[in-house]
Amino acid sequence: MNPQSGLLEGARRRTGMSHGELWFRYFELGGMSTALEVEAFLYDALSPTNHDRNLVATALNERFSELGGDHPVPYTDDVDSS
Amino acid sequence: MGITFDSEGPGARAASESFGRPAMAEIATVERGPVDVRPSFDLITRFLLDSVVVGVRGDIDLLTAPALEGLLAALIDGGHKNLVLDLADLDFMDAQGLRVLAAVSGRLLSATGSLTIRSPSVAVLRLLDVMAMTDLVELRPVRAEVKTLGAEQRSDAPAAASAALPPEPAAGVPALLAALPVATDLIDAALRMVTALTRATLRSADGVSVTLTRHGQLTTVAASDETIAQMDRDQYATGEGPCLAAASEGHWFHVESLAEEQRWPQFIPRAVAGGIASILSSPLLVGDRAMGALNIYSNRERAFGPEDQELAALFAGHASKILAEARQDVTANEMGLRLRDALGTREVIAQAQGVLMARDGGSAEASYGAMRQSSKRAGVTVRAQAFAILATTHAVTTGQPIAEVTS
Repeated sequence: MNPQSGLLEGARRRTGMSHGELWFRYFELGGMSTALEVEAFLYDALSPTNHDRNLVATALNERFSELGGDHPVPYTDDVDSS
Repeated sequence: MGITFDSEGPGARAASESFGRPAMAEIATVERGPVDVRPSFDLITRFLLDSVVVGVRGDIDLLTAPALEGLLAALIDGGHKNLVLDLADLDFMDAQGLRVLAAVSGRLLSATGSLTIRSPSVAVLRLLDVMAMTDLVELRPVRAEVKTLGAEQRSDAPAAASAALPPEPAAGVPALLAALPVATDLIDAALRMVTALTRATLRSADGVSVTLTRHGQLTTVAASDETIAQMDRDQYATGEGPCLAAASEGHWFHVESLAEEQRWPQFIPRAVAGGIASILSSPLLVGDRAMGALNIYSNRERAFGPEDQELAALFAGHASKILAEARQDVTANEMGLRLRDALGTREVIAQAQGVLMARDGGSAEASYGAMRQSSKRAGVTVRAQAFAILATTHAVTTGQPIAEVTS
Protein backbone atom coordinates (compact mmCIF):
# COMPACT_ATOMS: atom_id res chain seq x y z
CA MET A 1 0.00 0.00 0.00
CA ASN A 2 1.18 3.43 -0.80
CA PRO A 3 -0.63 6.16 1.11
CA GLN A 4 0.75 8.91 -1.10
CA SER A 5 0.44 7.80 -4.66
CA GLY A 6 2.92 9.36 -7.09
CA LEU A 7 4.95 10.79 -4.22
CA LEU A 8 8.17 9.05 -5.17
CA GLU A 9 7.94 10.01 -8.83
CA GLY A 10 7.14 13.60 -7.89
CA ALA A 11 10.16 13.68 -5.59
CA ARG A 12 12.37 12.22 -8.31
CA ARG A 13 11.33 14.98 -10.68
CA ARG A 14 12.12 17.62 -8.07
CA THR A 15 15.63 16.21 -7.60
CA GLY A 16 16.16 16.37 -11.36
CA MET A 17 17.58 12.83 -11.34
CA SER A 18 16.92 10.51 -14.25
CA HIS A 19 15.36 7.11 -13.57
CA GLY A 20 18.74 5.57 -14.36
CA GLU A 21 20.59 7.77 -11.89
CA LEU A 22 18.04 7.07 -9.17
CA TRP A 23 18.35 3.33 -9.80
CA PHE A 24 22.13 3.55 -9.58
CA ARG A 25 21.95 5.27 -6.21
CA TYR A 26 19.36 2.75 -5.03
CA PHE A 27 21.67 -0.04 -6.16
CA GLU A 28 24.62 1.59 -4.41
CA LEU A 29 22.62 1.57 -1.18
CA GLY A 30 22.19 -2.17 -1.49
CA GLY A 31 19.02 -2.47 -3.58
CA MET A 32 18.59 -5.63 -5.63
CA SER A 33 15.64 -4.76 -7.87
CA THR A 34 16.22 -3.98 -11.53
CA ALA A 35 15.98 -0.50 -13.00
CA LEU A 36 12.67 -1.40 -14.60
CA GLU A 37 11.24 -2.59 -11.29
CA VAL A 38 12.33 0.60 -9.53
CA GLU A 39 10.70 2.66 -12.25
CA ALA A 40 7.55 0.63 -11.73
CA PHE A 41 7.68 1.45 -7.98
CA LEU A 42 7.71 5.14 -8.83
CA TYR A 43 4.63 4.88 -10.99
CA ASP A 44 2.85 2.62 -8.48
CA ALA A 45 2.78 -0.10 -11.11
CA LEU A 46 4.57 -2.45 -8.71
CA SER A 47 4.41 -2.51 -4.91
CA PRO A 48 7.88 -2.41 -3.38
CA THR A 49 8.68 -4.15 -0.10
CA ASN A 50 9.10 -1.74 2.79
CA HIS A 51 12.85 -2.22 2.51
CA ASP A 52 12.90 -1.41 -1.21
CA ARG A 53 10.64 1.57 -0.72
CA ASN A 54 12.90 2.91 2.02
CA LEU A 55 15.96 2.43 -0.18
CA VAL A 56 14.34 4.46 -2.95
CA ALA A 57 13.34 7.09 -0.38
CA THR A 58 16.89 7.17 0.97
CA ALA A 59 18.33 7.61 -2.52
CA LEU A 60 15.95 10.53 -3.11
CA ASN A 61 16.52 12.09 0.32
CA GLU A 62 20.28 11.89 0.04
CA ARG A 63 20.01 13.74 -3.26
CA PHE A 64 17.78 16.35 -1.59
CA SER A 65 20.46 16.70 1.12
CA GLU A 66 23.12 17.28 -1.52
CA LEU A 67 20.93 20.04 -2.91
CA GLY A 68 20.79 21.62 0.52
CA GLY A 69 17.35 20.34 1.52
CA ASP A 70 15.88 18.18 4.24
CA HIS A 71 14.61 14.60 3.95
CA PRO A 72 11.16 15.29 2.47
CA VAL A 73 10.38 11.73 1.43
CA PRO A 74 8.96 9.79 4.40
CA TYR A 75 10.14 6.28 5.30
CA THR A 76 7.68 3.50 6.01
CA ASP A 77 8.86 3.34 9.63
CA ASP A 78 8.38 7.03 10.33
CA VAL A 79 5.02 7.54 8.62
CA ASP A 80 3.23 6.57 11.84
CA SER A 81 5.47 8.26 14.40
CA SER A 82 5.78 11.65 12.65
CA MET B 1 32.01 -6.96 22.49
CA GLY B 2 34.88 -8.00 20.30
CA ILE B 3 33.66 -8.59 16.81
CA THR B 4 36.02 -10.39 14.49
CA PHE B 5 35.54 -11.94 11.13
CA ASP B 6 37.12 -15.08 9.85
CA SER B 7 38.18 -15.35 6.25
CA GLU B 8 34.71 -16.50 5.25
CA GLY B 9 32.92 -13.60 6.90
CA PRO B 10 31.58 -10.45 5.36
CA GLY B 11 34.54 -8.49 6.71
CA ALA B 12 36.96 -10.51 4.68
CA ARG B 13 35.04 -9.78 1.53
CA ALA B 14 35.64 -6.10 2.05
CA ALA B 15 39.37 -6.40 2.17
CA SER B 16 39.87 -5.25 -1.36
CA GLU B 17 42.84 -3.24 -2.54
CA SER B 18 40.77 -1.57 -5.16
CA PHE B 19 37.89 0.23 -3.48
CA GLY B 20 39.60 3.52 -4.03
CA ARG B 21 38.38 4.92 -0.72
CA PRO B 22 41.13 5.61 1.81
CA ALA B 23 39.01 4.78 4.85
CA MET B 24 38.25 1.42 3.35
CA ALA B 25 41.89 0.44 3.11
CA GLU B 26 42.38 1.17 6.77
CA ILE B 27 39.53 -1.04 7.79
CA ALA B 28 40.55 -3.67 5.32
CA THR B 29 44.02 -4.17 6.72
CA VAL B 30 42.59 -4.81 10.16
CA GLU B 31 39.81 -7.12 9.15
CA ARG B 32 41.66 -9.16 6.58
CA GLY B 33 41.78 -12.74 7.75
CA PRO B 34 44.57 -15.20 7.11
CA VAL B 35 44.99 -15.22 3.35
CA ASP B 36 45.31 -18.56 1.62
CA VAL B 37 44.09 -19.17 -1.87
CA ARG B 38 41.59 -21.90 -1.50
CA PRO B 39 42.36 -25.27 -2.98
CA SER B 40 38.88 -25.33 -4.55
CA PHE B 41 39.88 -22.58 -6.98
CA ASP B 42 41.49 -23.27 -10.30
CA LEU B 43 42.09 -21.48 -13.58
CA ILE B 44 42.48 -23.48 -16.77
CA THR B 45 43.83 -21.61 -19.78
CA ARG B 46 43.50 -22.84 -23.34
CA PHE B 47 45.02 -20.97 -26.27
CA LEU B 48 42.91 -21.19 -29.42
CA LEU B 49 43.61 -19.78 -32.85
CA ASP B 50 41.87 -16.44 -32.36
CA SER B 51 41.04 -16.39 -28.66
CA VAL B 52 42.07 -17.56 -25.23
CA VAL B 53 39.59 -19.50 -23.13
CA VAL B 54 39.99 -19.23 -19.37
CA GLY B 55 37.99 -21.77 -17.44
CA VAL B 56 37.22 -20.99 -13.81
CA ARG B 57 36.60 -23.74 -11.27
CA GLY B 58 35.39 -22.92 -7.76
CA ASP B 59 34.67 -19.49 -6.30
CA ILE B 60 35.58 -16.01 -7.52
CA ASP B 61 35.69 -13.89 -4.38
CA LEU B 62 37.95 -11.61 -2.44
CA LEU B 63 40.73 -14.16 -2.19
CA THR B 64 40.65 -15.51 -5.72
CA ALA B 65 39.61 -12.48 -7.78
CA PRO B 66 43.17 -11.02 -7.81
CA ALA B 67 44.48 -14.26 -9.31
CA LEU B 68 41.87 -14.15 -12.05
CA GLU B 69 42.53 -10.47 -12.65
CA GLY B 70 46.26 -11.08 -12.79
CA LEU B 71 45.90 -13.86 -15.34
CA LEU B 72 43.53 -11.86 -17.56
CA ALA B 73 45.79 -8.79 -17.32
CA ALA B 74 48.81 -10.90 -18.29
CA LEU B 75 46.92 -12.28 -21.29
CA ILE B 76 45.93 -8.78 -22.43
CA ASP B 77 49.49 -7.55 -21.89
CA GLY B 78 50.65 -10.47 -23.99
CA GLY B 79 48.58 -9.18 -26.90
CA HIS B 80 45.57 -11.50 -26.55
CA LYS B 81 42.50 -9.42 -27.30
CA ASN B 82 39.71 -11.94 -27.51
CA LEU B 83 39.19 -13.57 -24.15
CA VAL B 84 36.51 -16.09 -23.29
CA LEU B 85 35.69 -16.71 -19.67
CA ASP B 86 34.16 -20.14 -19.26
CA LEU B 87 32.10 -20.19 -16.06
CA ALA B 88 30.61 -23.67 -16.45
CA ASP B 89 32.44 -24.92 -13.34
CA LEU B 90 32.04 -21.73 -11.33
CA ASP B 91 30.42 -22.27 -7.95
CA PHE B 92 30.10 -18.71 -6.71
CA MET B 93 31.01 -15.17 -7.73
CA ASP B 94 30.75 -12.04 -5.61
CA ALA B 95 31.22 -8.33 -6.20
CA GLN B 96 34.96 -8.77 -6.53
CA GLY B 97 34.40 -11.00 -9.53
CA LEU B 98 32.10 -8.43 -11.09
CA ARG B 99 34.70 -5.77 -10.50
CA VAL B 100 37.29 -7.84 -12.36
CA LEU B 101 34.87 -8.42 -15.24
CA ALA B 102 34.11 -4.69 -15.49
CA ALA B 103 37.79 -3.75 -15.38
CA VAL B 104 38.88 -6.37 -17.90
CA SER B 105 36.11 -5.66 -20.39
CA GLY B 106 36.90 -1.95 -20.12
CA ARG B 107 40.54 -2.63 -20.91
CA LEU B 108 39.66 -4.91 -23.80
CA LEU B 109 37.27 -2.35 -25.21
CA SER B 110 40.04 0.25 -25.38
CA ALA B 111 42.20 -2.37 -27.07
CA THR B 112 39.33 -3.16 -29.48
CA GLY B 113 39.12 -6.68 -28.18
CA SER B 114 36.28 -8.54 -26.56
CA LEU B 115 35.42 -10.40 -23.40
CA THR B 116 32.84 -13.14 -23.74
CA ILE B 117 31.24 -14.89 -20.81
CA ARG B 118 30.52 -18.52 -21.59
CA SER B 119 28.11 -20.77 -19.70
CA PRO B 120 27.24 -18.40 -16.85
CA SER B 121 24.93 -19.82 -14.21
CA VAL B 122 21.47 -18.35 -13.74
CA ALA B 123 22.73 -16.60 -10.60
CA VAL B 124 25.66 -15.02 -12.44
CA LEU B 125 23.41 -14.00 -15.31
CA ARG B 126 21.05 -12.40 -12.84
CA LEU B 127 23.97 -10.50 -11.27
CA LEU B 128 25.18 -9.31 -14.66
CA ASP B 129 21.64 -8.30 -15.53
CA VAL B 130 21.16 -6.36 -12.30
CA MET B 131 24.47 -4.62 -12.95
CA ALA B 132 23.43 -3.81 -16.51
CA MET B 133 26.61 -5.61 -17.51
CA THR B 134 25.24 -8.14 -19.95
CA ASP B 135 26.14 -5.81 -22.81
CA LEU B 136 29.44 -4.76 -21.35
CA VAL B 137 30.86 -8.24 -21.16
CA GLU B 138 29.61 -9.39 -24.52
CA LEU B 139 31.04 -6.52 -26.52
CA ARG B 140 32.20 -7.44 -29.96
CA PRO B 141 35.30 -5.82 -31.47
CA VAL B 142 34.16 -2.31 -32.31
CA ARG B 143 36.55 -1.75 -35.18
CA ALA B 144 36.03 -4.91 -37.14
CA GLU B 145 34.82 -2.90 -40.12
CA VAL B 146 38.04 -0.92 -40.25
CA LYS B 147 39.76 -4.03 -41.55
CA THR B 148 37.61 -3.95 -44.66
CA LEU B 149 39.29 -0.67 -45.53
CA GLY B 150 42.72 -2.29 -45.54
CA ALA B 151 44.67 -2.08 -48.78
CA GLU B 152 44.64 -5.83 -49.26
CA GLN B 153 40.85 -5.93 -49.50
CA ARG B 154 40.60 -3.14 -51.97
CA SER B 155 41.00 -5.31 -55.09
CA ASP B 156 38.26 -7.67 -53.93
CA ALA B 157 35.71 -4.86 -53.82
CA PRO B 158 36.01 -2.88 -57.02
CA ALA B 159 32.43 -1.69 -56.73
CA ALA B 160 32.98 -0.12 -53.31
CA ALA B 161 33.13 3.65 -53.09
CA SER B 162 36.71 3.46 -51.90
CA ALA B 163 37.74 1.79 -55.13
CA ALA B 164 37.33 5.12 -56.87
CA LEU B 165 40.16 6.54 -54.80
CA PRO B 166 43.46 7.25 -56.50
CA PRO B 167 45.55 4.19 -55.71
CA GLU B 168 49.04 5.62 -55.15
CA PRO B 169 48.72 7.87 -52.12
CA ALA B 170 45.58 6.42 -50.59
CA ALA B 171 46.23 2.68 -50.62
CA GLY B 172 48.28 2.53 -47.44
CA VAL B 173 46.53 5.40 -45.71
CA PRO B 174 43.44 3.68 -44.33
CA ALA B 175 45.60 0.93 -42.83
CA LEU B 176 47.71 3.64 -41.25
CA LEU B 177 44.59 5.32 -39.91
CA ALA B 178 43.34 2.06 -38.49
CA ALA B 179 46.50 1.83 -36.45
CA LEU B 180 45.97 5.27 -34.91
CA PRO B 181 45.58 5.35 -31.16
CA VAL B 182 42.04 5.94 -29.96
CA ALA B 183 42.44 6.15 -26.19
CA THR B 184 40.76 9.23 -24.78
CA ASP B 185 43.92 11.00 -23.77
CA LEU B 186 45.35 10.41 -27.23
CA ILE B 187 42.39 11.69 -29.19
CA ASP B 188 44.03 15.01 -29.98
CA ALA B 189 47.16 13.22 -31.14
CA ALA B 190 45.02 10.99 -33.34
CA LEU B 191 43.25 13.97 -34.87
CA ARG B 192 46.56 15.73 -35.44
CA MET B 193 47.69 12.61 -37.24
CA VAL B 194 44.58 12.71 -39.43
CA THR B 195 45.34 16.36 -40.15
CA ALA B 196 48.90 15.56 -41.15
CA LEU B 197 47.80 12.61 -43.31
CA THR B 198 45.18 14.71 -45.06
CA ARG B 199 47.72 17.42 -45.69
CA ALA B 200 50.23 14.92 -47.07
CA THR B 201 47.72 13.00 -49.18
CA LEU B 202 45.77 15.81 -50.81
CA ARG B 203 48.20 17.48 -53.16
CA SER B 204 45.90 20.47 -53.48
CA ALA B 205 45.79 21.05 -49.73
CA ASP B 206 47.90 23.92 -48.47
CA GLY B 207 46.57 23.66 -44.94
CA VAL B 208 44.33 21.38 -42.89
CA SER B 209 42.62 21.75 -39.53
CA VAL B 210 40.18 19.87 -37.33
CA THR B 211 37.52 21.85 -35.49
CA LEU B 212 35.72 20.21 -32.58
CA THR B 213 32.85 21.11 -30.31
CA ARG B 214 34.17 20.89 -26.78
CA HIS B 215 32.13 21.97 -23.79
CA GLY B 216 29.70 23.63 -26.17
CA GLN B 217 32.41 25.69 -27.87
CA LEU B 218 34.18 25.18 -31.15
CA THR B 219 37.92 24.82 -30.82
CA THR B 220 40.73 23.89 -33.18
CA VAL B 221 42.33 20.68 -31.93
CA ALA B 222 44.73 20.34 -34.80
CA ALA B 223 46.04 22.70 -37.50
CA SER B 224 48.81 22.16 -40.02
CA ASP B 225 50.26 25.63 -39.49
CA GLU B 226 49.68 28.97 -37.85
CA THR B 227 47.97 30.56 -40.88
CA ILE B 228 45.37 27.79 -40.79
CA ALA B 229 44.89 28.08 -37.03
CA GLN B 230 44.29 31.79 -37.63
CA MET B 231 41.68 30.94 -40.32
CA ASP B 232 39.78 28.91 -37.75
CA ARG B 233 40.08 31.65 -35.14
CA ASP B 234 38.76 34.19 -37.64
CA GLN B 235 35.69 32.06 -38.11
CA TYR B 236 35.10 31.73 -34.37
CA ALA B 237 35.61 35.50 -34.00
CA THR B 238 33.20 36.45 -36.77
CA GLY B 239 30.82 33.63 -35.91
CA GLU B 240 30.61 32.50 -39.52
CA GLY B 241 32.42 30.53 -42.20
CA PRO B 242 32.36 27.15 -43.93
CA CYS B 243 34.00 25.26 -41.04
CA LEU B 244 31.46 26.58 -38.55
CA ALA B 245 28.66 25.79 -40.98
CA ALA B 246 29.89 22.22 -41.52
CA ALA B 247 30.41 21.70 -37.78
CA SER B 248 26.95 22.96 -36.91
CA GLU B 249 24.82 21.89 -39.86
CA GLY B 250 26.42 18.47 -40.35
CA HIS B 251 26.97 18.54 -44.11
CA TRP B 252 29.93 19.60 -46.20
CA PHE B 253 30.64 23.07 -47.51
CA HIS B 254 32.80 23.69 -50.54
CA VAL B 255 33.96 27.21 -51.35
CA GLU B 256 35.41 26.87 -54.83
CA SER B 257 36.49 30.49 -55.07
CA LEU B 258 36.64 32.84 -52.14
CA ALA B 259 36.82 35.78 -54.56
CA GLU B 260 33.36 34.92 -55.89
CA GLU B 261 31.84 33.79 -52.57
CA GLN B 262 28.78 35.75 -51.40
CA ARG B 263 28.19 33.95 -48.08
CA TRP B 264 30.02 34.81 -44.83
CA PRO B 265 30.86 38.48 -45.69
CA GLN B 266 32.70 39.01 -42.38
CA PHE B 267 35.00 36.02 -42.64
CA ILE B 268 35.76 35.77 -46.36
CA PRO B 269 37.81 39.04 -46.62
CA ARG B 270 40.00 37.89 -43.72
CA ALA B 271 40.63 34.54 -45.44
CA VAL B 272 41.45 36.25 -48.74
CA ALA B 273 43.88 38.50 -46.89
CA GLY B 274 45.49 35.35 -45.51
CA GLY B 275 46.09 34.07 -49.04
CA ILE B 276 43.34 31.42 -49.03
CA ALA B 277 41.51 30.90 -52.34
CA SER B 278 39.34 27.82 -51.73
CA ILE B 279 38.04 25.84 -48.74
CA LEU B 280 36.55 22.38 -48.33
CA SER B 281 34.93 21.62 -44.96
CA SER B 282 33.57 18.16 -44.16
CA PRO B 283 31.54 17.51 -41.01
CA LEU B 284 32.63 15.05 -38.30
CA LEU B 285 29.57 13.07 -37.34
CA VAL B 286 29.02 10.90 -34.30
CA GLY B 287 25.78 9.09 -34.87
CA ASP B 288 23.85 11.74 -36.75
CA ARG B 289 25.18 14.57 -34.62
CA ALA B 290 27.75 17.02 -35.99
CA MET B 291 30.70 17.23 -33.58
CA GLY B 292 33.13 19.28 -35.65
CA ALA B 293 34.68 19.59 -39.07
CA LEU B 294 37.73 18.64 -41.09
CA ASN B 295 38.79 21.77 -42.94
CA ILE B 296 41.04 21.81 -45.99
CA TYR B 297 42.40 25.08 -47.33
CA SER B 298 44.11 25.86 -50.63
CA ASN B 299 45.88 28.88 -52.04
CA ARG B 300 44.46 28.09 -55.48
CA GLU B 301 40.91 28.57 -56.68
CA ARG B 302 38.92 25.44 -57.56
CA ALA B 303 41.70 23.33 -56.10
CA PHE B 304 39.52 20.44 -54.93
CA GLY B 305 38.38 18.04 -57.62
CA PRO B 306 36.17 14.97 -57.17
CA GLU B 307 39.09 12.83 -55.96
CA ASP B 308 40.02 15.36 -53.31
CA GLN B 309 36.42 15.49 -52.19
CA GLU B 310 36.32 11.70 -51.93
CA LEU B 311 39.51 11.69 -49.88
CA ALA B 312 38.24 14.50 -47.65
CA ALA B 313 35.10 12.47 -46.97
CA LEU B 314 37.23 9.41 -46.19
CA PHE B 315 39.43 11.29 -43.73
CA ALA B 316 36.46 13.01 -42.14
CA GLY B 317 34.89 9.59 -41.73
CA HIS B 318 37.99 8.30 -39.94
CA ALA B 319 38.18 11.34 -37.71
CA SER B 320 34.50 10.77 -36.87
CA LYS B 321 35.22 7.16 -36.04
CA ILE B 322 38.05 8.17 -33.72
CA LEU B 323 35.67 10.52 -31.96
CA ALA B 324 32.92 7.93 -31.69
CA GLU B 325 35.25 5.31 -30.25
CA ALA B 326 36.80 7.77 -27.82
CA ARG B 327 33.34 8.61 -26.56
CA GLN B 328 32.55 4.95 -26.19
CA ASP B 329 35.76 4.38 -24.26
CA VAL B 330 34.99 7.25 -21.93
CA THR B 331 31.54 5.91 -21.27
CA ALA B 332 32.74 2.39 -20.58
CA ASN B 333 35.57 3.67 -18.43
CA GLU B 334 33.37 6.02 -16.42
CA MET B 335 30.85 3.26 -15.99
CA GLY B 336 33.55 0.94 -14.74
CA LEU B 337 34.72 3.49 -12.18
CA ARG B 338 31.21 4.24 -10.93
CA LEU B 339 30.45 0.56 -10.76
CA ARG B 340 33.56 -0.06 -8.69
CA ASP B 341 32.62 2.71 -6.26
CA ALA B 342 29.03 1.52 -6.03
CA LEU B 343 30.12 -2.03 -5.31
CA GLY B 344 32.47 -0.72 -2.62
CA THR B 345 29.65 1.23 -0.99
CA ARG B 346 27.35 -1.78 -1.08
CA GLU B 347 29.97 -3.87 0.65
CA VAL B 348 30.54 -1.29 3.36
CA ILE B 349 26.83 -0.92 4.01
CA ALA B 350 26.34 -4.69 4.10
CA GLN B 351 29.17 -5.09 6.60
CA ALA B 352 27.88 -2.35 8.86
CA GLN B 353 24.49 -3.99 8.66
CA GLY B 354 26.11 -7.25 9.74
CA VAL B 355 27.83 -5.54 12.64
CA LEU B 356 24.53 -4.10 13.87
CA MET B 357 22.78 -7.44 13.48
CA ALA B 358 25.46 -9.15 15.56
CA ARG B 359 25.38 -6.40 18.16
CA ASP B 360 21.62 -5.84 18.48
CA GLY B 361 20.30 -9.19 17.33
CA GLY B 362 17.79 -7.63 14.95
CA SER B 363 16.85 -8.68 11.44
CA ALA B 364 18.79 -7.48 8.42
CA GLU B 365 16.00 -5.08 7.56
CA ALA B 366 15.70 -3.73 11.10
CA SER B 367 19.46 -3.15 11.21
CA TYR B 368 19.33 -1.31 7.92
CA GLY B 369 16.42 0.77 9.25
CA ALA B 370 18.38 1.67 12.38
CA MET B 371 21.37 2.68 10.31
CA ARG B 372 19.20 4.78 7.99
CA GLN B 373 17.40 6.52 10.85
CA SER B 374 20.67 7.27 12.66
CA SER B 375 22.21 8.63 9.47
CA LYS B 376 19.19 10.89 9.05
CA ARG B 377 19.52 12.15 12.64
CA ALA B 378 23.25 12.70 12.19
CA GLY B 379 22.67 14.47 8.89
CA VAL B 380 25.03 12.16 7.01
CA THR B 381 24.59 9.63 4.23
CA VAL B 382 23.92 5.97 4.94
CA ARG B 383 27.32 5.26 3.43
CA ALA B 384 29.05 7.65 5.85
CA GLN B 385 27.09 6.13 8.73
CA ALA B 386 28.16 2.65 7.67
CA PHE B 387 31.78 3.79 7.63
CA ALA B 388 31.35 5.24 11.12
CA ILE B 389 29.95 1.96 12.41
CA LEU B 390 32.82 0.00 10.87
CA ALA B 391 35.37 2.46 12.24
CA THR B 392 33.95 1.84 15.72
CA THR B 393 34.14 -1.90 15.20
CA HIS B 394 37.69 -1.44 14.02
CA ALA B 395 38.43 0.32 17.32
CA VAL B 396 36.89 -2.58 19.25
CA THR B 397 38.89 -5.23 17.45
CA THR B 398 42.15 -3.33 17.68
CA GLY B 399 41.73 -2.30 21.31
CA GLN B 400 41.81 1.37 20.47
CA PRO B 401 39.48 3.71 22.36
CA ILE B 402 35.87 3.06 21.53
CA ALA B 403 33.92 5.85 19.96
CA GLU B 404 30.17 5.85 20.57
CA VAL B 405 28.17 4.68 17.59
CA THR B 406 25.35 7.04 16.83
CA SER B 407 22.32 4.84 16.80
